[in-house]
This record gives sequence, C-alpha cells and structure tokens, in this order.
Amino acid sequence: MDITVVHHPFGVAEVAVAGRLNMVTAARMREAIKQAVDANHPNVAVDLSQVVFLDSSGLGALVAGLKAVRAAGGDLRLIRPGEQPQLVLELTNMGSVLKSFDTVGDAFPHA
Amino acid sequence: MPEVVARTLRLSSPPDTVDTVQDLLATVWAQTPRLDPADRLAAELVIIELVANVIEHANAGAAIEYSLSIVVFDDRIEATVTDSGSVEHVDLRDRAMPDALAEEGRGLPLMKALSESVEHRRVDGYNHWTLVRARRDGTASAAKKVMPSISIAGVIDEMARQRALDDMGILDTPPEERFDRVTRLAKQLFGVKTAAINLIDHDREWAKSVTGLGSVSTARTASVCAVTIQGDEALVVPNLAADPRFVDKLAPDSSRFYAGFPLYAPGGERIGAFCVSDPQPRHFSARETEMLRDLASWVQQELLVSQELSRASEVQQGLLPQKLLSMPGWQVAGVCLPARAVGGDFYDWYPVGEGAAFTLADAMGKGIAASIIAATVRAVLRSASRFADAAGAIDAASAALSIDLDNAGVFVTAFHARLDMDSGILSYVDAGHGLSIIARADRTSQRLRSHAPPLGVDPETEWPLQTVQLNAGDTLMVVSDGVLDLYDGTLGALDNLVALALLSQDPWEIIEAIRARARGTSADDVTMLIVRRDDAD
Repeated sequence: MDITVVHHPFGVAEVAVAGRLNMVTAARMREAIKQAVDANHPNVAVDLSQVVFLDSSGLGALVAGLKAVRAAGGDLRLIRPGEQPQLVLELTNMGSVLKSFDTVGDAFPHA
Repeated sequence: MPEVVARTLRLSSPPDTVDTVQDLLATVWAQTPRLDPADRLAAELVIIELVANVIEHANAGAAIEYSLSIVVFDDRIEATVTDSGSVEHVDLRDRAMPDALAEEGRGLPLMKALSESVEHRRVDGYNHWTLVRARRDGTASAAKKVMPSISIAGVIDEMARQRALDDMGILDTPPEERFDRVTRLAKQLFGVKTAAINLIDHDREWAKSVTGLGSVSTARTASVCAVTIQGDEALVVPNLAADPRFVDKLAPDSSRFYAGFPLYAPGGERIGAFCVSDPQPRHFSARETEMLRDLASWVQQELLVSQELSRASEVQQGLLPQKLLSMPGWQVAGVCLPARAVGGDFYDWYPVGEGAAFTLADAMGKGIAASIIAATVRAVLRSASRFADAAGAIDAASAALSIDLDNAGVFVTAFHARLDMDSGILSYVDAGHGLSIIARADRTSQRLRSHAPPLGVDPETEWPLQTVQLNAGDTLMVVSDGVLDLYDGTLGALDNLVALALLSQDPWEIIEAIRARARGTSADDVTMLIVRRDDAD
C-alpha cells in the first residue's frame, strides 16, 4: 500500500491510498490521518479510488481517523471508493457516516 | 466440465500476513476466470476476515501457525483454516453490525453477510474454521442443507463427531441394564418390534442396546439413524419404502416404520439416535413423538453418566502401577478389572530399599465413592513407605484415614507387604483381607491367614507384622473377593488359583486366564497381584 498526503489550504489534507487497506496497512493509515490532524489539517479527504481491497481492519482505521478529526473540529470524507470498498461500506452501514464524494473540492467545498 | 480449483498454503504469522493470503488468492482467481466478480469479491473479503481473525485472536495474539485451503467448486467456494491456536471457545453467533463509531467488531458480521456458513470446530487441539460461499453464478443451488458430504465442512464435522464418540469410551462396551430397560420400555410402550440405542461409528451403526429384532452392528449406508443425526429434530417415517430418501437403503426384510431422536456427546456432537422401528408401516402421533422424546432424553442422561464414569475410570486405571519393577530374579504382575467403570479395588507396587512394597486393597462398596476411598488409601500407603516396615505404613494409613473412613461409613481390607529381594523374606500386614496364598514350588500351598480387622473399624488396632519366606519357584497370589466369584465363591477358589499357578509358566499366564474367566461375567471387581520368584537353575 502507498499513502500520499497533500495539504490543501483551509485545513484540508488529501490522503491518497493505493493498494490494499487491510490488517497490515491499517496502522499506517491511522498514523497518516493523525499526522494530518497534528499539522492542523483536521479536514481529511481519503482518496480510495486506487484502493483495490478494504476489510474490517481498514474500515476500523478509517473510523479511528474519523473520531480523531472530529475531536479536532474537522471531518473525514471519502473520495471515489471503488467497487470493493463500496461493497464493504454498504454491508457495514458505514456509507452514511463515511460519506463519499467525487473530488476533494466536492468533499470540502469551502476549502 | 465442472471447474474445481484447489490451493493449500501453510503459513506462520509473523512473518506471514493477510497480504500473503491475498497473493495466494490472486493466483486462485487467475485460474478461475469464469468466477463472477461479485463472488470473487465476497469470497476474498470473507477469507481475509477469517485469516485476520485467526492471526489476531486464535492464539491470543501470539505467533501462530496455520494452513489455509481454498476450493472453488462450480457451485460454491470453500475455505478452511486450521490453526494451532490455544483459544478453544469461539462465539460465532450472529450479531449485528456494531455502532458506527466502533473501530472493531465488523469482521464476523461481514463474514456472515457474505457466506452461507461460517463454522468453528475444535478437534485434537486444532481449530478448524470453514467458510462456504455459494456462487451466485453457480449452476446448482448451494443452500446449506444440500451441501454434499465431500465438503470440507462435512469432513471436519464428521471428524469432530467421531472424536467425541470415541472420547465417550462407550463403543463395544457390554450391554448395560440402565440402557436396556429404556429400550425394553419403549418397545412395550409403542407396541413395536424393535427399540434401539444406535451409535454411528465410522462406517457402521453400533447398538449400545437393542430390544426385539435388529442386530448390534449394521453398515452405516443401511442405517436410518445415520440420517437422523443430520438434524436436531425427530425423524419419523411412517413407511420407509414410500420415502425416496430410504428406498435404496431398504433390505427386503428391514423395517418399514421408523421414529428416532438424535443423541448427543457432551460437546453437542450428534453421535447416534434412540429409535423405534417396526416391519409394518404405521402412524406415529404427535403425542407418541413427545413420549419418544422423553425417553430419548432419559437415554441422553444415561450417556452423560457413562462419560463421567469413563473419565473416572481413566483416572483410576492411571493409579495402577505402570512401571515394571526392576527386581532380578522376580516377576511381578497385576490386574484390576472393575465390575463397573470404576471400583474400590486396586493393587500397587513400588521399589523400597533393596526390594519393593506391594499392596492390594478393597474398599467396601463399588463405584465412584469406593474408588475415591481406594485412591486415598493408595496415596497414604505410598507416602508412608518411608516408615521402617509394612506395619508402620499400615498404622500411618490407619491414622490418616480413620476420620475419612468414619465419615464415609466404609472400611478397607488391605494386604500390604515389603519384600527383600535377596533373601526372599516377605514381611506383611493383612488388615482383614485374608485372600493371599502361596503356591510353593514343591506343589504345596500356604494361606496367609488374617485375624486383624480392616482399616476403618477401630483406629486403636495394632496390626501384627508377619513374615514368610518365598523360595525359588514360589508364587504369591493376592486377590480380591471378585476373583473367588469366578470360581465357586468360597475360599476353595484359592486352591483353583494354586492349581493355575502350578500349570502356568509365569504370572502373566495366570492373569490371562483370570481375565478370560472374568470376561463379561463378573459382578464384583476382579483384582489380583502376583509375585513369583524365579525357579532355581
């Protein structure tokens, strides 16, 4: 899994993940989000378009990230989850909490 | 042609991770191009959730070894993980998706949502996990109930079932009245020709109890009870010949009517069935089914008692001396055949100084209570071996036991001896036992009489220490009263033993003869201890 973080203005961080977001990579995902929050970018857009596999561990990392950004007054939103992550979000009823958008601009329009 | 792709991988985590498994899965998917992407996505997710669960929880987080097998059939995908984890109890019950802000707990609901079955079995110290995902693109319907028996889940179920049955130690045991009276009652109650308690053992059906027509052992393929154990409900078939499930199983003279309830091992495995059957088709009312259920639960209770007795029996047999004594010039042998699974008799031996100590004791009464007293006497005598002689050991045992024995309202007869192997001098105490005899090499015999009371009668008793000399070719035999019952039940039986000893080459021949006599007939515990001095060259 690769993680690329791009900091945008107005406290928005774009975290792009490629590969599998599973038990192996979940910890790095948590850490990337935590660093964004620590760097005063509590609005985190996680780009899942290149994620081929998401499991409950990966989802747990996203939920942990969501709680961290909310505690810092921000939010965590998803960008273009693929077929498999979309399935997992639906099955776990997480689609309404981890909302998906087409672009970072759509996710955080005021940024 | 049906496509069947199978892969197996051995893993240890660390260093292996779920990524290792996903790499394997990629090779499986490459070989199954016709697998629908939705099935592939679902199967991959449930397998990864399962493996992640095993890595994280099956060994409480410690390093773990496991193997993963994946088989893609044309109607389903099966995955089996077998791990060496220490965690035995797993709760796979359905549960809801957790709260939206929970970081854990979604794995199992995901597995359940995307597969037909998720099962866990603990067999022989390994956890076996099986997942079955029916292919949505599959040609056959793969509902749980019609899973063919070649499925991995089926094989592991059967392993667990067989193991549970073996552990009960009931197979091929003699008939027991407590089971027979239930089958007798059922036969009368329902007016049928046969009532039986059938256990399904490998490829046969074996009857623990059968009243009326019917045999003790039948091929499993011809067994209706083998079908009953596939479910938890009553199986009632008014006419087997009219039921497509059984037409092929019917022998010309076999039953037409059948009604049975599954029976369970303590762990819940279905090991057999309690059933009634008859050559004539008949109706079986709901009320009769209820009555049959009641009788089945009675049998079930008796089975659980068997299991406990079998455990106790293992413990007790473990108390008998397993090690041979190293005594050049001497042969020592013993046998203990409890009339029930456990008894009040035991024999024991262990080295003491330049020789050995021997005990044969009989706690009054039979069954578990007597066996507990027997185990206590054995332990106390053993710990008293540091005392100078056999009388000292018996005194110590008496002192330690008097309270226990008083409370239990029982007493113990005991023969306890020390042998000096060079001189052949046997010093002994006989506490009310009186069933010891020496067959001399010169074809005479000598009874070792006892005038002292058993342990537990009077704590003030002083047991006299007596001595006797064992010469070359002499055989000392100490027995319990159950051995007398193998002959005419009187002390005259001791003469039969002397004759047996004179005819036998060694102690084991005597024991084999006693064992053969006791087979299936003894009402009392049969215990015997033999010490023989080698013939002079």
